[in-house]
Amino acid sequence: MTSAIKTESLTKYYGEHLGIQNLNLDINEGEVFGLLGPNGAGKTTTIRVFLDFIRPTSGTATVLGLDSVSDSVAIRDRVGYLPGDFITYERMTGAQLLEYFASMRGNGLGRAKELAERFSLDLDRKIGELSRGNRQKVGLVQAFMSYPELLILDEPTTGLDPLLQQEFHSLTQEEASEGRTVFISSHVLSEVEAICDRVGIIRDGELVTVEQIDDLKQRALAMVKIEFEDEIRPDDFEAVDGVSDVSVTDHTLTCYVTGSVDSLIKAASEHTVNRIESAQPGLEEVFLAYYSDEGNVQEASDA
Amino acid sequence: MLRNVFLKTLRDSRRSITYYSIGMIATGLYVAMLYPTIRDASGLTEFMEQMPEVMRNLIGDIETLNTPEGFLNVEIFSFMAPLIAGIFAIIAGTGAIAGEEEKGTLDQLMANPASRRQVMIQKIGAMLTGLLVINLALGIGLVVGAVLSDFDLSISRLAQATISLYALTAALGLIALGVGASTGRKGVAAGVAAAVGVIGFLLETFLSVVEFLEPTKFVSVFFYYNSNDVIIHGLNYVHLLALVMVGVVATVVGLWKFERRDLQN
Repeated sequence: MTSAIKTESLTKYYGEHLGIQNLNLDINEGEVFGLLGPNGAGKTTTIRVFLDFIRPTSGTATVLGLDSVSDSVAIRDRVGYLPGDFITYERMTGAQLLEYFASMRGNGLGRAKELAERFSLDLDRKIGELSRGNRQKVGLVQAFMSYPELLILDEPTTGLDPLLQQEFHSLTQEEASEGRTVFISSHVLSEVEAICDRVGIIRDGELVTVEQIDDLKQRALAMVKIEFEDEIRPDDFEAVDGVSDVSVTDHTLTCYVTGSVDSLIKAASEHTVNRIESAQPGLEEVFLAYYSDEGNVQEASDA
Repeated sequence: MLRNVFLKTLRDSRRSITYYSIGMIATGLYVAMLYPTIRDASGLTEFMEQMPEVMRNLIGDIETLNTPEGFLNVEIFSFMAPLIAGIFAIIAGTGAIAGEEEKGTLDQLMANPASRRQVMIQKIGAMLTGLLVINLALGIGLVVGAVLSDFDLSISRLAQATISLYALTAALGLIALGVGASTGRKGVAAGVAAAVGVIGFLLETFLSVVEFLEPTKFVSVFFYYNSNDVIIHGLNYVHLLALVMVGVVATVVGLWKFERRDLQN
């Protein structure tokens, strides 16, 4: 299979300050790949290398088979880019901006108009007068309007309302189903989970792991809280499969579960249960899960 | 007007080009129409001749103040026109790349398939075009003013002075643009270009008065611009070439840095 993006020992320092270190990524054509990590982990640095906004300190990035530095114009011709905070010419209207960018790409505006209609975006208003959500929609239209082979999206839905996020995800999935490659960065697991096939986790500039999203979820720790009618003892649950970090206060059990909750539910059914609460595994929990395998829980929870 | 970076940049500055041009035409008209009054004022030349030499040097070439060219040299080309056109050039040059970068719009522009070289050259083209319009506006104002006031003005000499003015202000604009492209910082770009202009002006104005400044005249852009009073004596092509070279060097250095550095986020 051909690589849409391939990095080899990609390293970027800003003076003394580390951006990314020794990044080895290999993203297949047609794949939806998520780069997941907390703020400041190096996601944006990675993306800015792909677009040749910044140059690697060492190592290389190959995008669509082309070198990120020497062939950057050819790369950008085939890539659509949307950052989380789409900043552009505030005094232009959406229509003017799209016309400008489309003519730089030698494209028409057919697809742009179609997308604007779908997202009910008013193209006649000045971009500076638009709400954040609507501004981001302009960004979305310009990123998708040229039928790019590769979409590079840097936290594209941060701060958008859930409805718009949803629409955005469906559009991304449509693009992917037509064979385009999508590279999306995020610090929210649920976003990545919703659309990605594979996920790379990045932390402090280094790639921690690359996994299928399903495998990652298997390893994620979900927090479960169960309130019982009667008093319970921690011992009843400590031995249960997949359960860890058990604590009991009053009639309430709090614990973490990896994988299936079946064993825990069966153990709980021995008692009268009043309430069950379960929190979606967040990024921290995914990290915890990953590091607990490596015996490094402490390091991860400190981070 | 949105077909490429050149046209789009020109379109963005259409208002400022218009206002500066109106200002230039008005200045030209006003000063030209003032000339007959000054020429006919009795005793002006005598009054000037009684001044100490230092004062006379500061004011300008007084022997020719009662000729149209001499008058315009002092009233327009020595200070007023370089000031107005220079401010336009420095603002346009600063905004071209450093301005976009500080506003955060450069990333999205550069996400399109255009090389940094193409973007910078088109931005330079837009700045030089706007500046040309403003310089022409001054010339038009002066010619119309001369016709209305009914005095003879050498069009050839006026054109030569305008060319020198254009070369000076283009050099200042290119310094601002080049430093902005090198550093991505508006403040540095505007500061360096303004310093070159202001220090150059001060050196050229005072060097004939303060003897120890004399050897420094070669570093002043104003020396190359108008030390030989172009509108009276005509262009010095070596000086013109020197101004062009200042602009070329600023462009080449700026481009070299811009193509090699990281864009700021």
